[in-house]
Amino acid sequence: MRALLHIAWRSAWNRRLTLVLTLCSIALSAFMLLGVERIRTDLRDNFTSAVSGTDLIVGARTGSVQLLLYSVFRIGAATNNIRWDSVEFLQSQPGVAWVVPLSLGDSHRGYPVLGSSDAYFEHFHYGDRQALRLREGRVYTDLFDSVIGAEVADRLGYRLGQEITLAHGSGELNLSDHADKPFTVAGILQRTGTPVDRTIHVSLEAIEALHLDWIGGAPLPGMRISAEQVRQRTLQPKAVTAALVGLENRAAVFSVQRQVNQHAAEALMAILPGVALDELWDVIGTGERALLLMSGLVALVSMASLMSVVLATLGERRRELAVLRAVGASPYHVVLLLVLEGFMVTLAGILAGVAALLAAVWVLNPWLQSAFGLTLAATQASALQGWMLLGLLAAGLLASVVPGWRAYRLSLADGLSPRI
Amino acid sequence: MHNENFPHSRLRRRLMAAAVLGMLALPLRAAPAFAEITWEDLVPEDWDPMAEFADVKDLDALPDSDPRVIELYERLRHVWDSAPVVSAMAGRAVKLPGYLVPLDETKAGLREFLLVPYFGACIHTPPPPANQIIHVRAATPIKGLRTMDAVWASGTLELKRSDSAMGSSGYSMAAKSVVRYKEPRR
Repeated sequence: MRALLHIAWRSAWNRRLTLVLTLCSIALSAFMLLGVERIRTDLRDNFTSAVSGTDLIVGARTGSVQLLLYSVFRIGAATNNIRWDSVEFLQSQPGVAWVVPLSLGDSHRGYPVLGSSDAYFEHFHYGDRQALRLREGRVYTDLFDSVIGAEVADRLGYRLGQEITLAHGSGELNLSDHADKPFTVAGILQRTGTPVDRTIHVSLEAIEALHLDWIGGAPLPGMRISAEQVRQRTLQPKAVTAALVGLENRAAVFSVQRQVNQHAAEALMAILPGVALDELWDVIGTGERALLLMSGLVALVSMASLMSVVLATLGERRRELAVLRAVGASPYHVVLLLVLEGFMVTLAGILAGVAALLAAVWVLNPWLQSAFGLTLAATQASALQGWMLLGLLAAGLLASVVPGWRAYRLSLADGLSPRI
Repeated sequence: MHNENFPHSRLRRRLMAAAVLGMLALPLRAAPAFAEITWEDLVPEDWDPMAEFADVKDLDALPDSDPRVIELYERLRHVWDSAPVVSAMAGRAVKLPGYLVPLDETKAGLREFLLVPYFGACIHTPPPPANQIIHVRAATPIKGLRTMDAVWASGTLELKRSDSAMGSSGYSMAAKSVVRYKEPRR
């Protein structure tokens, strides 16, 4: 067997160019299959751990997936705000334990700014009912205090006491700065692996203060209100983007949901985060299946190319195989030789694909984390990934059995007699 | 003549095979002591929600947006939310089928969910009364189930104390096992 392995290796080395090309296509298919599955599972894990312990999310009437996306994941923009009296209405509902108002729409260097109340740090949970914890500093106490997520702090190199300027709208280009009212970093949160890491938290009053001298989406000329003057004003928020609601009795969720949906004073909508997430998977699922199908097809094509390459080389290896037979190798040895070659190429291809995936995840992770708040766990293999690799390996073996069988049928004389 | 009966004999053979399999499976099924109950068992026999609505007449003739209908919904909701529970159910190990509405999803799987007796988004109908919603906490997180999947939940029923002003009470369950619903074998 070792001798056979040696022969297979030497023979393959002789035809390394074509085999390396085949190897690359197998590596690509392994990379695609594993990568798509990795992103699929990690995307779900990241999304499911972003909010926990919240029974309802309330916002302006829109699609439930959209409400979930902008309120929790800061993806997309709100179609409408909800008035403050609606938040008070929520608080007054029987069975409601806590309400966390959320105000979105401003940004700092591309990172979203979230205005909320103290209740946010008390009641917002992520992952498996984990509370937010501070890495440094404290929760905002002053009007112009801010608490930043770990990703913001690490990426922008912010320390406690740093002065930051918030901008209106959510973009990288900060043309309409609220530069006259700088904020101070009062606290930095521990890393959570959720959109919280990419968020700058300020109080609801601060959001209100920023927009005091703004009317109709632009700062009013000749009506500047300085940071000191702002402190004298009453900064009761008039509207928020959404609200997270916790209930005393979770079983009462449908009843409160219906009450919110039927609120006559304003068109509100309440969603169950878990149900909305499942709806999101329905939407994404189609794309995921298409991607998986594509990767499956790539795998199929690469297996076909493996088969055709080994088959094509049979022609030029007639003499080689005949010589082997002449020195005493049985037909089975010849079959084994070819199967071994296919197996080696497949295995090497898979290993190269896995290595490429690990490298790609390692390179892309910081960017994915800062741009999308998505962390890929490349080292945690799922069961499905294992099956995919086994399937690829089995397909590689199968693909090399066909040329092996053909070589088995070629007679000894066929290779030795000179061609006319 | 006999040949034309072929489909029937095949059916009979299948039925017999199923029966044999069923008998083999019986000792396995009897092992956990969860009594199968229905959703009706969770409603007190003497509870008549309609008693409060004896004055309602000609409801069919009114449009949904009519203030009287909206007022009626309010009352209905109150009655539904304070629906009484069967106190004898406390502490019983039961098994019942229902639809799943996820509450707390984690990476490990689903930890808490609500079990309801009918499928639907509760848009066209008011949500089920309080005694038809079970708050289930799974002993181990469940993977692979999603909103409105039909499941068998087995576990110990508990009565929730009414703590809020509204007096809303209900059932909760510490579930030993939650499995995807299959038609029970007869």
